[in-house]
Amino acid sequence: MAKLILILFLVINLFSQNIYEQNCVSCHKDIEVSIDKYFYRYLLVYSSEKAVKEAMKEYLQNPTKEKTVMPESFIARFGIKDKTQLNDEELNEALDIYWQKYKVFGKLQ
Amino acid sequence: MLVSKNWDIDLIASQNRTVLNFLALYSFLCIVIIATVSILYYNFQKDLMLQQNRATLQEYSDHLINALRNLHINFDKERTYPRFEQFESAIYDSAYKEIFTTFDSSNIDLNKVLYHSNERIYFINQPESYYLGSKYIVVSVKDSKKWLSSVYRNIAFFSATALIFLLGVGYFLLALLLKPMKNALFLLDRFIKDTTHELNTPVSAILSNIEMIDKTNLDPKLIKKINRIDTGAKTISNIYQDLTYLTLNHQIISKDEWIDLQALLNERIEYFKTMIEVKNITVHSKLQKTLIFIDRSKCIKLIDNIFSNAIKYNKNGGTIEVILEKNSLQIIDSGIGIKKDKIDKIFGRYKRFDSSVGGFGIGLSIVAMIVKEYDLQIQIDSKEKIGTKVTISWQS
Repeated sequence: MAKLILILFLVINLFSQNIYEQNCVSCHKDIEVSIDKYFYRYLLVYSSEKAVKEAMKEYLQNPTKEKTVMPESFIARFGIKDKTQLNDEELNEALDIYWQKYKVFGKLQ
Repeated sequence: MLVSKNWDIDLIASQNRTVLNFLALYSFLCIVIIATVSILYYNFQKDLMLQQNRATLQEYSDHLINALRNLHINFDKERTYPRFEQFESAIYDSAYKEIFTTFDSSNIDLNKVLYHSNERIYFINQPESYYLGSKYIVVSVKDSKKWLSSVYRNIAFFSATALIFLLGVGYFLLALLLKPMKNALFLLDRFIKDTTHELNTPVSAILSNIEMIDKTNLDPKLIKKINRIDTGAKTISNIYQDLTYLTLNHQIISKDEWIDLQALLNERIEYFKTMIEVKNITVHSKLQKTLIFIDRSKCIKLIDNIFSNAIKYNKNGGTIEVILEKNSLQIIDSGIGIKKDKIDKIFGRYKRFDSSVGGFGIGLSIVAMIVKEYDLQIQIDSKEKIGTKVTISWQS
């Protein structure tokens, strides 16, 4: 009975997570570098919302060494990630959530 | 139509008009030049002021960029935007979207680097890395306006100096320009004075001798010839009197008295009798007994000039109507008429409305002078090829 409740809880938990948490956070949380670091790295290079999202999407769909914004030492240690399994729409949705979570607008005092 | 323009036609008035026109045009040009130079000077000084502030603003923006870099690195812990006492600032992303500002920063032109607007100086810098996404870093200080007062002072001083200098040059130019005109008018006036003086005696001799001829026993052909001589001599005499009137105008003292206009008109019609007969003109006169207070010789000049025009510009076998009422005198001819657009101008000196007819064109200018002196109203109604009606009216 206890096992069943645990499994049920896990399933509910899985479904309640959004696409960003399911597909991004789930892996990144195991890496020492927290997920927001990538966001500010992109902001440093691409500045605006549109440019940042486009650059991230482009990289996630086709990650290469040339396109990365991360430092060389980071790549040397962690390597290049695999291509995303998400389709265009799902990717956009995940990126929107990512942007909303870490954007600078409205956070400065 | 009531003609009230161009009455003051004399040398001084026309000269003054030329002078005023010239001065207006010249002053306008001077002001345009001075304004252009002033605007250039103002812009130059503004640029100079901006360049003087550039180093300071650059330094401020470097401070801000450093602070933003620190904030970017520690954004997970610290979220207070860096503020400085010396300046206001704002940051924008590459899509010109405002990320944060410490002042009213709407309407900032992010494509400029250094500019002045609404009493503030703006410096826009682009950092190498876009900390917190900020591609454009705006640093702004209030304009102390010290430069402006000195610029205004200089502009006022130099404009005034330049204007005085240019007007001086203008006056000199004007004198140069007017000299030949003055000379020509002076010569013309002196020539007229000299000529008329020499004309008087022979014309008077001709006229008085014709009057003395007993025409009763003469051959009609001879009478005709004598009449023509009489007409010619009277025309010359008229011109002579006009010219004397014009040239000596300011020296004639009016001797006003009550004049019986009815009698005077009959006398003048009689005087022009031969001229009327030569042109086969019929004169209809309806004259009421009317008295008017005026100088006799001037009244004669007035009537003669209008009447002789009515004869001169009439057609052969035409008519002249003379109507005298209590407050008005009308002389209506069946002549060539005057073009509508020329009626305004006919009171000008040396203006004739038909060059085929002789004369100096001073008759109506004299009429205008007399009319003005006695505060009379003159009205000219004319239809081309039908005739002209001259009405003179006065208050009783």
